Amino acid sequence: MSSRAQPHPPDPLSVPPLSGGGSPIKREGELIARVNWSKLLGNAVRYFLLTIFLILFMVPVYGAIVTAFKSQAEVAAGGYWTLPTNLAAENFERVMDPEDGNLGLYLGNSLLLTIPASIFSIALGTLAGYALGKYRFRFDGLLFIFIVAGMFLPPQIALIPVFRLMNDIGLYDTLWAVIIIHTAFGIPICTLVMRNFFQVVPNALREAALIDGANEYSIFLRIMLPLTLPALAVLATLQFTWIWNDFLWPFILTQKADSRTIMVGILNLTGQYTVDWGGQAAASLIGSLPTLFIFVFFQRYFIRGLTLGAVKG
Amino acid sequence: MLRRHPWIIPASFLILPLLVYFTFVILPTLNSLYYSFTDWVGYGTDFNFVGTANFEKIFTDRLFSNAIKNTIIWLGLAMTVPTLLGLSFALALQGKSRINTAYKSLFYMPICLSPVIIGIIWVWLYSPKLGIVNIFLRSIGLDHIATAWLANPNTALYAVFVAWAWQQTGLNMVIFLAGLTSVPTPLVEAAKVDGANTWQTLSKVIIPMLRPATVVVLALTAISALKSFEIIWVMTMGGPFNKSDTLAVFMYSESFRKFKMGYGSSAAVVLFLVTLVIIVLYFRFAAAAEELYE
Repeated sequence: MSSRAQPHPPDPLSVPPLSGGGSPIKREGELIARVNWSKLLGNAVRYFLLTIFLILFMVPVYGAIVTAFKSQAEVAAGGYWTLPTNLAAENFERVMDPEDGNLGLYLGNSLLLTIPASIFSIALGTLAGYALGKYRFRFDGLLFIFIVAGMFLPPQIALIPVFRLMNDIGLYDTLWAVIIIHTAFGIPICTLVMRNFFQVVPNALREAALIDGANEYSIFLRIMLPLTLPALAVLATLQFTWIWNDFLWPFILTQKADSRTIMVGILNLTGQYTVDWGGQAAASLIGSLPTLFIFVFFQRYFIRGLTLGAVKG
Repeated sequence: MLRRHPWIIPASFLILPLLVYFTFVILPTLNSLYYSFTDWVGYGTDFNFVGTANFEKIFTDRLFSNAIKNTIIWLGLAMTVPTLLGLSFALALQGKSRINTAYKSLFYMPICLSPVIIGIIWVWLYSPKLGIVNIFLRSIGLDHIATAWLANPNTALYAVFVAWAWQQTGLNMVIFLAGLTSVPTPLVEAAKVDGANTWQTLSKVIIPMLRPATVVVLALTAISALKSFEIIWVMTMGGPFNKSDTLAVFMYSESFRKFKMGYGSSAAVVLFLVTLVIIVLYFRFAAAAEELYE
């Protein structure tokens, strides 16, 4: 009403004024028809471009898969990018063979490293996150920033001192050195995610339990901890993927085959198999299987973790 | 609540995580600062305090200025290419249709792969004779462009960057998609009712609303670009002729290949300070972006 009395400025919610001839109904019909056409065309162009990008994106994955399943003879004949004529398992057998690629040992080492390091970092992050999310105390905000800032530290800054420290305490060249360092470097992200989680758990739960006479630790263990399962799942997928894929720390902190992780092992193998692309491809697939498994089956948790803690790595 | 136990209870929860964090993250960081003023060679305990000699030397070291130059190129590319691609994919795939979900999954699949494996796979793609990149170029008659991408000093850094961007794009897309869920649909519809075309809706409504997500993407990309070491090491080891040698690679080669640990520490300190600048900028911009919507 007021917009009719005062044409300027126009009411943002009003229908745009019609100009030129033609009844409103006809205009509207045209409008709908035009929108549909352009929408259809837009969608066609959009998915066409997306599909081209997707094909480009999938070329590396396709190459790795077809090469891994080809016999050495077929790869040597030059068919790197064609589909395998028949599925060959020989590349996988060769890289897993203890006398050859020995990836079985490195896979085992990586599991022995990744599982405890994930558990320890999540456990410590849960403790710190609980304290910071559910209690108010002096300097709590400052302490939170102090811990979370660690997420952004480039590992290079700690590389040399950690290398020396592990030598001094006799853990150099053991999986324990890598477990400890991944536990410590995982504390910031785990604390952040758990603190954000505990902050939204209603205080009424705690207060009711306090009135019932429960002490602080039994509230944490019996009431709070069971609630944290979704957050723990998010962190477990994130920490597992990140620690499994890491190369820098085991590369610096371990040397002998007995403490070699899968990523260091695979890179060593490329030195040994310089022209054996089938072997390299098979090793790459084997090394990616655990994280691909997480990606396929726990994708929702994984993605939530990436956006929640807004990422490391 | 809980004024009765001002600090003893939270402290009991915090003691263990803080101890581990301090011993293995904070202490080594501080130690690095200390080593950067020494001439330690990686073994033994007798080394000398050399004052600022490492820093004086590093700023006249040709290899270091080369690494800085490469880092700047790397950072510049990292903050633009995967950001724009990730944003485009997110905008194109925001609906929840089945086809969008499938496309999204495939685009962010590389996030779960190790940089080591990505590096290995891309080395074959770039292989001069049998790699798909050159096979493709030759098949469309661009033989003169085909080159040994990783061995050619003019292309090595860019070739490695493409492999890195292949992984980073999916990650940025995920963050932008999360940002898009906070853009209210009525706002976008109101703009359309007002007669805004797709481009206007995008540039005047959606992109400004994505500002917080953009700040996060830029900061995280910058930080992960600065510390990225694995993929460069696997693909080129910083070569040829140090043409793909970034600060992170320089720091590693000086410390663990040449065993100049003191000198390498000063490179790590420089890397740390650059990262610190980005972190400070990030927190300022993040705060500003939040204020904008409160």
